[in-house]
Amino acid sequence: MSDVSVMTTASGCHIFSGCGYPAPSIADFYFKPIFTVGGIAITKPVVLAVLAGVIILIFFYVAFRKPKLVPRGTQNLGELGVLFVRDQILRQQLGRKGDKYLPFIVAIFFFVWIMNVFSLIPLIQFPATSKIAFPAGLALVVWVTYITIGMRTKGPIGYFKQMAVPEGAPWWILPLLSPVELFSNILVRPFTLAIRLFANMLSGHLLLLVFGLASWYLLSLSIGLLFAATSFLLTIILTGLEVLITALQAFIFATLTSFYIADATETSH
Amino acid sequence: MNGRREQESGRDPSQPRSPGEGWTFLSYMIGGMILYGFVGWLAARWTGWPVLFPVGMLVGLASAIALIIFRVTRS
Repeated sequence: MSDVSVMTTASGCHIFSGCGYPAPSIADFYFKPIFTVGGIAITKPVVLAVLAGVIILIFFYVAFRKPKLVPRGTQNLGELGVLFVRDQILRQQLGRKGDKYLPFIVAIFFFVWIMNVFSLIPLIQFPATSKIAFPAGLALVVWVTYITIGMRTKGPIGYFKQMAVPEGAPWWILPLLSPVELFSNILVRPFTLAIRLFANMLSGHLLLLVFGLASWYLLSLSIGLLFAATSFLLTIILTGLEVLITALQAFIFATLTSFYIADATETSH
Repeated sequence: MNGRREQESGRDPSQPRSPGEGWTFLSYMIGGMILYGFVGWLAARWTGWPVLFPVGMLVGLASAIALIIFRVTRS
């Protein structure tokens, strides 16, 4: 992107030097490229996303390489993860018929979760999902998936009719309501799916930045120690909240994906 | 979290709705406002009455709420 410096503290504001509070801004989400490959800049978020994928691949490969009937070790952990997704996310929306979508939902859940969790790990401390590209790409995949499933279940015309005609509405109000239903089902859903994840991660990271930077900046004020300690305590509390939010946002993303797939396959309209 | 979807024509009223449906209603309201707000904006440009733009958004909001009510009260 631009030539913006990587960290606000690189602006030269040292502790006890009397400068103003180096407020975190959107510039903190832009990174200088580590290296460039044929015109594509490889930055920290790109590395993190690839790392998340590699971690998940390696973990599940090791877990299920030689599956035993009575699981031990990594397989136990892997089964815990997969069964959690299957029972709490997939079967809640689709019932038993949803089991064929299990690999997809497992991949989405763990990929989003690991990318989110990078915001909490020391030395990494950046959620890759706070760059809009990653949630947008995932939402695009989900969107194409559920539209394809719907069209394959009911045929393009049948699916279009189901998307456009709301149930329970009297026929005379249909011209007013079907554009809303169609627009909402086809266009708004992937948009809100991406924005929800992106905004949550962006704001969480910004909050941690604000209070983390304030913790050391306030030390240089006259009664700074009290404020700095409070700010540090808040940083700790917010990190705890962030642990919850990272898991919750991954859960919501996976749940909504399953719900949209269920909505596409249901024929009871 | 018991919003189990099954292939039946009506839903079991004793089961709470799934959270996905809540987000769907939210997207109805957003989508309705955006869609009819855009229609209203085009109409405002065409007729020269700027009031049609907020009127369009209100129509969109009302349609979305009507849609939600129809969907919730289906038998």
